[in-house]
Amino acid sequence: MAQLFPKEHVLGFIGSIILTIAALSVVQFDVSLTAGLVILWVTALAQASLQLVLFMHIGETDDKGSIYVITLYSVVIGLVTVFGSLFAMIWGY
Amino acid sequence: MSKHNNSVPLEYQGEENDLKIFGFWVFLGAEIVLFATLFTAYFTLVDRTGSGPTGVDLFELPPVILETFLLLTSSFTIGLGVHAMRLGRVKPMIVFYIITLILGAGFIAVEVDEFITYIYHEDATIQTSAFTSSLMTLLGTHGAHVSFGLLWGIAIIIQVAKHGINKRTANKAFIFSLYWHFLDVVWIFLFSFIYLKGMM
Repeated sequence: MAQLFPKEHVLGFIGSIILTIAALSVVQFDVSLTAGLVILWVTALAQASLQLVLFMHIGETDDKGSIYVITLYSVVIGLVTVFGSLFAMIWGY
Repeated sequence: MSKHNNSVPLEYQGEENDLKIFGFWVFLGAEIVLFATLFTAYFTLVDRTGSGPTGVDLFELPPVILETFLLLTSSFTIGLGVHAMRLGRVKPMIVFYIITLILGAGFIAVEVDEFITYIYHEDATIQTSAFTSSLMTLLGTHGAHVSFGLLWGIAIIIQVAKHGINKRTANKAFIFSLYWHFLDVVWIFLFSFIYLKGMM
């Protein structure tokens, strides 16, 4: 039975719960918008990395180099789309 | 793409299996960009609420926490399912996959209830304002992915129950687990930057 619940998975799950609770602090306490956004970015990125590395086994085969490149490339395109649009249409530059 | 021996888990063995997993990562790359464009629309239009409700009016913490907990736990249980598969334990694997789908169905139930609240109690439909349009398109696209995942997961469980764990079924079950974890990753960003930021 114990071998069905490997330690790193259980610790990863506890970690993801802790990160969720940490993210909830931005609505539970009176934090400034900037501080709140920093907390949300840190917890979201940590949470996403935890999922990718621990549960999706992103780095376990010889393909890992290509898989990292595909994922990072998509993330960069995504971020450019989001922040490029905000930059051009919302922030008034 | 060089491991065609027995030192890698069953789901990677053989060139076809290896390529299918690699190809699925390419697909997930496209999914990242899909959700990024929907997030872009949302962030651009979030203040265009017209005469409709704002995020602060709409969002409520309890259902969102419940949805997050359901999806996080389902991501954990499918991870355990893949682990059991790698140990060659069919029964625990199927049990973990079934628990995953039940949690996923729970998530969908809470989300449907959330949408019913928006539409019938808050008078916020997809046509109310640019804010509700972009919000419901983004949430709905994620919800549609989870719903599709439920059907896909059932098909996976049937195949594993029928044929046991072999190269083909292990490959399919692993790829499904990648999809499911990915939906959890997307939810983390919905949770953080739509709900929590919207309630700040």
